[in-house]
Amino acid sequence: MLSEKSLKAIAFERSKYPQEESRSALLAALRIAQEEQGYLRDELIEYVAEILGLPAIQAFEVATFYTMYDLKPVGRHKLCVCGSVSCFLNGSDRIIGHLSRTLGIGLGETTADGLFTLQEVECLGACKDAPMMQLGDRYYENLTPESLDALIAQLRGGSEDVR
Amino acid sequence: MLHIEIDGQQVEVAAGTTIMEAAESLGIYIPFFCYHPKLSVAANCRMCLVDVEKAPKPLPACATPVSDGMKIATASRKAKMAQQGVLEFLLINHPLDCPICDQGGECPLQDITMGFANPHSHYNEEKRVVEDKDIGPLITTEMTRCIQCTRCVRFGQEIGGIKELGATGRGEHMAIGTYVAKAVKSELSGNMIDLCPVGALTSKPFRYKARSWELKHTPGICPHCSTGCNTDVQSLGKEVLRVLPRNNEAVNEQWICDKGRYAYTGLNAPDRVTKPLLRDSQGKWTEVSWAEALEATLAGLEKVLARHGADKLAGLISGQSSNEELFLFQALLRGLGSPHVDHRLHQQDFRADAAMPLYPALNMSLEELEREPLIVLCHGFTRHQQPLTNHRLHKAVLNGGKVVSIDSMRQDFNFPVTQMVAGAGEDLALYQQLAGHFAHVHEEKQSDGLVDLAREMAAADNPLILIGSALLHHPQAADLLAQVESIAELAGGRIGWLADESNSAGAWLSGCVPQRAPGGHLLAEPGLPAGACWNAEMQGFILFGVEPGVDSLAGAQAVQRLRDAEFVLSISHFGNEARQYADVILPMAAFAEGSGSYVNNEGRCQSFRAAVKLPGEARPGWKILRVLGDSLKLPDFQYNELSEVSAAWHHAVGDYGMDIPPFHAFPALEAVQPIPAGALLRLGDWPIYQGDPLVRRAKPLSTPLVARMHPDQARQSGIQGEAVEVSSASGKVTLALDLDTHIPLGCIWIPLGYPETSGLAAPYLPCSVAMAALLPETQRAS
Repeated sequence: MLSEKSLKAIAFERSKYPQEESRSALLAALRIAQEEQGYLRDELIEYVAEILGLPAIQAFEVATFYTMYDLKPVGRHKLCVCGSVSCFLNGSDRIIGHLSRTLGIGLGETTADGLFTLQEVECLGACKDAPMMQLGDRYYENLTPESLDALIAQLRGGSEDVR
Repeated sequence: MLHIEIDGQQVEVAAGTTIMEAAESLGIYIPFFCYHPKLSVAANCRMCLVDVEKAPKPLPACATPVSDGMKIATASRKAKMAQQGVLEFLLINHPLDCPICDQGGECPLQDITMGFANPHSHYNEEKRVVEDKDIGPLITTEMTRCIQCTRCVRFGQEIGGIKELGATGRGEHMAIGTYVAKAVKSELSGNMIDLCPVGALTSKPFRYKARSWELKHTPGICPHCSTGCNTDVQSLGKEVLRVLPRNNEAVNEQWICDKGRYAYTGLNAPDRVTKPLLRDSQGKWTEVSWAEALEATLAGLEKVLARHGADKLAGLISGQSSNEELFLFQALLRGLGSPHVDHRLHQQDFRADAAMPLYPALNMSLEELEREPLIVLCHGFTRHQQPLTNHRLHKAVLNGGKVVSIDSMRQDFNFPVTQMVAGAGEDLALYQQLAGHFAHVHEEKQSDGLVDLAREMAAADNPLILIGSALLHHPQAADLLAQVESIAELAGGRIGWLADESNSAGAWLSGCVPQRAPGGHLLAEPGLPAGACWNAEMQGFILFGVEPGVDSLAGAQAVQRLRDAEFVLSISHFGNEARQYADVILPMAAFAEGSGSYVNNEGRCQSFRAAVKLPGEARPGWKILRVLGDSLKLPDFQYNELSEVSAAWHHAVGDYGMDIPPFHAFPALEAVQPIPAGALLRLGDWPIYQGDPLVRRAKPLSTPLVARMHPDQARQSGIQGEAVEVSSASGKVTLALDLDTHIPLGCIWIPLGYPETSGLAAPYLPCSVAMAALLPETQRAS
């Protein structure tokens, strides 16, 4: 179900922890599985649990807890807007509303062209520049409708590296 | 020791004590939901927040260990604010549907809200709704009421061995469930109902039946296995409405298994007899008065005695009968001159009878089991046969002990067990090999499961060997017992018995075995054991609480003999089977309707009282026996009160030890027919919910009848599809088939205890299988 390379990476993560603590490697193992396959199907979660010798429910608990794990297919760009206290007070609802209108999708949905997925996530620890969102492995802060429009235009234009 | 102060009271506690435990020792109540003394600490409900001096925030009492000089206030302004705040948050999403909630009246959330909450809430928005889960046939879920205390999840993981239940999602989306729809299958699942502090998990059979404050509570003893769990039988009027565990740390702690919890639902089965029944010469059954029924009984018995002599009369009694019933039963039979008294319908090999102990005793307390470093289970699947004794074994494993099972198939334990599985019919050979390995445990270098086991047993200090119920069901039980004894000797270990039925111990002590009188005194002229009665031309039978067609290993043979006999009296709760062969059926008090006492596996004598009135004209078993004895003019049957019978029982049985020799000297064992090699063997035992007349009739517990076979064996036998026709010398039947790698090659596993399979050959006898067409609808639905 997973490539040799991913299995090796999971085995490496597993080796960091004591014999009886395979649960500790679960976060990393799920991340590796998601990176390879794009999202975590039920069978994939069960498979990861099996590799680590854990009851499947423990992997499901973790996979459903963290918003970083995707349980459904996602688009090319995943817009993860923080909705926790600081961002909320600074207008994250307005940001989400703007994105939703611009892209024509609701939270948790993906655009028909498969380009964008919109998500609301818990605090990402960048409160001083709220409201903010994560895209790929990068943070975008002090968001405004204008900065978002510019960003989306760039992404639609095929740009990968946007600043 | 640490000195602390709680609410102004000084107390000294050991290091590591939590605030909750310290407060409990002072009798100070701190409200909580998720804390439970038998489970790990989660500290996720936050209800037990208390005010600790110098701590900036309130701390959870359940998870905070005390430190020297700590000053704790449980009712200060800060603590109260915290409690009110937590409750307000918990009630944000909890529906206020107490009037239609089964938990109402026994709900910690209700009580604590009344005691600690601020009557006003700031919350005016919508409440969340959570989809209900189907987590099995016994528990109703109402997940919107869940407050995510995770007691059920922790119970599943730490005690029940349920690995499918968890808390998925986060924050407002968190829900308890199985994620992928899956029924939770555990013999302990009902305990989650007791643990749930709200109405999220409630009992399905009890749903909307009554409010907790309307129920009458009667202390009971569970009649379904030899653990002897203490129960609280709750009834309303004439009906038992539910059975809950009663705390007894020494026996069942605070748990009972689902068999003990739900078997009561069988009490009102359609074939319950509540009036004496008499069969006329045309074979028609009519309800008659007690006087008529007794007259017919006496006439029938006297005819058998006059025509064939007392040697052709046999008495078989259930191992679930009370001491008082067992005692009177053997006195009745022996008073009539018949030596054939037995309770061991589950047994077929009686050659080791002389070696049997005074009674099947565990030879230790249940609590001591938890501390055993090495336990070897011999043909005992405790998870289904003695579920709460099994829990002690589970705890032994959690305490670092090891459990090894020797059996004829792989069993599905709920904790790690090293399993040694015999090949088809090679159980005896397996024990012989194990015994053989002791001679050279030190030299052999090879690592084979059995050699390792021998080595471990030899190295262990006094390992514990437990003789399981299924060992006695084996056709070579005597040889197996002899092997177990020699293995114990070679290993320098102790032997404990896991008694087969709830009062097997009492039956042995009361003299309901053909070779011993009450108190275990040897009889000069022993009678025939249960299994031998079926082919000894018996003409009269007195049956007490048994259904030999499904309770004995040779069901078809038993029913045939009973049909051919001249007179059969069945003193019984249910009539379906007895109507096939009996002449008179006398209705008897069932579970919760009679009083008496049981001796559990430890040798602990526990008594119980009737919880509800008798249905119809049913009478307590001991009274029926007393009237019969009295009418037959037997001496010593003039009892008026149960206490007089109990006193007579105590007097006759005398003081017995809880720690007794596990075996007397073995007699020379005559060879029995070997188990045929090469043929396909039928394996089988009584499944957890088929073991006695009451539990068989409990609808919520009923499990479909399926045969099980190893997939490779099925391929080899040319079986495809989901049904199989099994034929044996004594009959054939078509069954649903499950492929199961737990079953050894060369065998097909077919459960006992179902009328459908009672015509088949006994376990370990050959049978043949053929592909079968789709099952008739009726059977598939069952």
